Amino acid sequence: MFSSINSVALFGMDARMVTAETDLSTGGLPVFEMVGFLGSEVKESKERIRTAMKNSGYLIPPKRITVNLSPADLRKSGSSFDLAVAISLLCAMGVIPEEASSATVAAGELSLSGEVKPVSGILPMVFEARKNGFKRFILPAANAAEGGAVEGIEVVGVHDLEETVAYLSGSKTIEPTSISLEAILNEERIPEADFRDVSGQIGARRGLEVAVAGMHNILMIGPPGSGKSMMAKCLPSILPPLSADECLEISKVYSVAGLLGAEGLVTERPFVSPHHTISPQALAGGGNIPRPGAVSLAHRGVLFLDEFPEFQRQTLEILRQPIEDHEVHIQRTQGSCTFPTDFLLCAAMNPCKCGYYPDRNRCSCSGPEIQRYLSKISGPLLDRIDISVETSEIGFSELSGKTGSAGESSEKIRERVVDAAEIQRKRFEGTGLRFNSDIGVRELKRFCAIGPEEEELMKTVFETMGLSARGYHRILKTSRTIADLAHSDTIKQEHIAEAIGYRGIDRRYWNGEY
Amino acid sequence: MVNIDIEEIRFVPAFYDEFPERLRNIPNPPKGLYIKGRFPDESRPSVAIVGSRDCSQYGAGMAKYYAEVLSKAGVQIISGLARGVDGIAQKTALDAGHPTFGVLGCGVDVVYPKSNREIFERITEKGALISEFPPGTPAIARQFPSRNRIIAGLADVLLVVEAKVKSGTGITVRNALEQGKDVYAIPGRVTDPLSAGCNKLIADGAGAALTPDDVLLALGIEPSGSRKNAAAQISKLARREKMLYSVLDLYPRTLDELSNMTGLTAAELLGILLQLELKGLAAETGKNNYIRKS
Repeated sequence: MFSSINSVALFGMDARMVTAETDLSTGGLPVFEMVGFLGSEVKESKERIRTAMKNSGYLIPPKRITVNLSPADLRKSGSSFDLAVAISLLCAMGVIPEEASSATVAAGELSLSGEVKPVSGILPMVFEARKNGFKRFILPAANAAEGGAVEGIEVVGVHDLEETVAYLSGSKTIEPTSISLEAILNEERIPEADFRDVSGQIGARRGLEVAVAGMHNILMIGPPGSGKSMMAKCLPSILPPLSADECLEISKVYSVAGLLGAEGLVTERPFVSPHHTISPQALAGGGNIPRPGAVSLAHRGVLFLDEFPEFQRQTLEILRQPIEDHEVHIQRTQGSCTFPTDFLLCAAMNPCKCGYYPDRNRCSCSGPEIQRYLSKISGPLLDRIDISVETSEIGFSELSGKTGSAGESSEKIRERVVDAAEIQRKRFEGTGLRFNSDIGVRELKRFCAIGPEEEELMKTVFETMGLSARGYHRILKTSRTIADLAHSDTIKQEHIAEAIGYRGIDRRYWNGEY
Repeated sequence: MVNIDIEEIRFVPAFYDEFPERLRNIPNPPKGLYIKGRFPDESRPSVAIVGSRDCSQYGAGMAKYYAEVLSKAGVQIISGLARGVDGIAQKTALDAGHPTFGVLGCGVDVVYPKSNREIFERITEKGALISEFPPGTPAIARQFPSRNRIIAGLADVLLVVEAKVKSGTGITVRNALEQGKDVYAIPGRVTDPLSAGCNKLIADGAGAALTPDDVLLALGIEPSGSRKNAAAQISKLARREKMLYSVLDLYPRTLDELSNMTGLTAAELLGILLQLELKGLAAETGKNNYIRKS
């Protein structure tokens, strides 16, 4: 007696359809054999299945049972095949009618008691099933909210094996789960941190606003305790709201990483803040079966690296390619996989080891020490950071709210950011670019054209301030965003002047001479 | 062995006529000096400008300002070519095309510190590198106190720009006093450790160099109006530029402080600061930390 049902194998973010075939035959010794290039956790699944079926009241007949997961040349790993194998075995045993498994996909882990437990990676699996024309996906009830976000396929959550059998035999009906993304995304959310609570820091506030508006990477420099981390935490509150597509993109990554909570989907832009001891693999993604790293978990959100120079150099250099390509490719013996990494990099650092430079009366570092501290960040990486701002220590009068600009709320800043994002969307329609920070050297002439007066200013600055060609481009891109924030079609002198104020740290300024 | 002919290094024993007169009568005079370049002009006044290696922006600004005015008035600048105050003072004199003399604690062919390489290469055009240690001698800490007596010896007046209470500069001051030279110090805020040495010197009886003119007068030189140019430039500034310039200081100010004082937004401030920077009236010393220039 032969039967089969479909399931999905995952490698990184890539899903592939797999068929679980089961054959029961009377010839030969009674064994339970599983084949199909299986990882050890998949091989173990026959013990789980045997016990789970026994405890659910289905005795496996003493026959020769052969299970094959096809295609047999694709390495399979993870515990998500349990449910599919169990269903196909039950079909072969005649407990479930044969036709019940047609156009159906199943995934889920079995516990010895027969309970169906949640697995990671459901979202990409359901997408793959829909792409291949399947009509129904049976998955653990705990994953139903996640899978239900995919339209065009019936997603059925089951609690245990008995319920699954009852459902597939038609003796019980389970309402398919369907989640409305719009409803979830439109829910009112109170941000964890709001710019309203940040006092002073006019330079850094404005710098962060410009950075978010054009998705420019930003570096904050300032003494300890000046509020760098706090301001970084406010960033998600001024990022544009998530679209449905973005929500699914992020959720897919989190699904593969097994980090989706009970809510089922990621409904806010991620803010990922790894500690500076993070390994290169944890940052970029890695492992035998590649899992997304911090750069991918920050996709469409913020990657915040506090104490920037304290990260291992090797770790930091890994950032270069993901920043440039918006995706990271990970090669392993079993194949390569790609994770998306379109994030806003926000880095924070002290100006020197003790943190008080350029206040020489408090800074105890010598010139070479300061140089050494700064040189931990390589030139190529600095080249990818468009904006750098200083955070200053907060005086008592600012803390008590007597002076300084009363904090503008994140809501207001976000309105301006959303407007600027809309301007950029219209400008870049059909070009493949999304934000001003994506503008390449070739497109500069087209999108960042400047008038003769502005040209003159740039020339003077270029000559007197010793700018590099890259520095020049960065200033143009940043001034484009500043002009967008001001709803100006052309880049004006004032926009360029402000952008120059945000130019990256220049070695020249750090050697104590001027 | 260093071939001193190729390096254009000469050894001048103390009994040569060429040997500086100023050094003949100091306690423990050197037996001779290695020199690359020419000795200071005996007929022209000379001032030693010394101070902390890790000076503040204020110290750097002062070293530059005093060196500029003094060298323009024909004063030869003597110093130790160290990082910080020494190097800044000597580079200022060099850039203005005036002679300056570096007294080293290592051989005159040894570049130390490396960051001052540019000064080492240019200084011999009009001034000199001087040392009592033979060429090839590496820079060792215990050799530096003894070169300080030569710095003080070559100068008519010693000017201390910025120094902590306990520092190498203190040795130079002691040498100068033993040799009967005038010592001037530039005062600073009483709370700044880097100015404490200078303030203490003044309290102990050193001259207070409130302007470069004080040093010039000590040398018997009539000062000329040196800051007129800057004043003329400032009067031409736009209203907001003038306002911002007036709140800038030699102590670095952050954008927040400037905004509190002027009520301007970050975007406006950055625009005006750029204009001031391009006019040479302001400088960015650390990221978004600004000081006044000239």
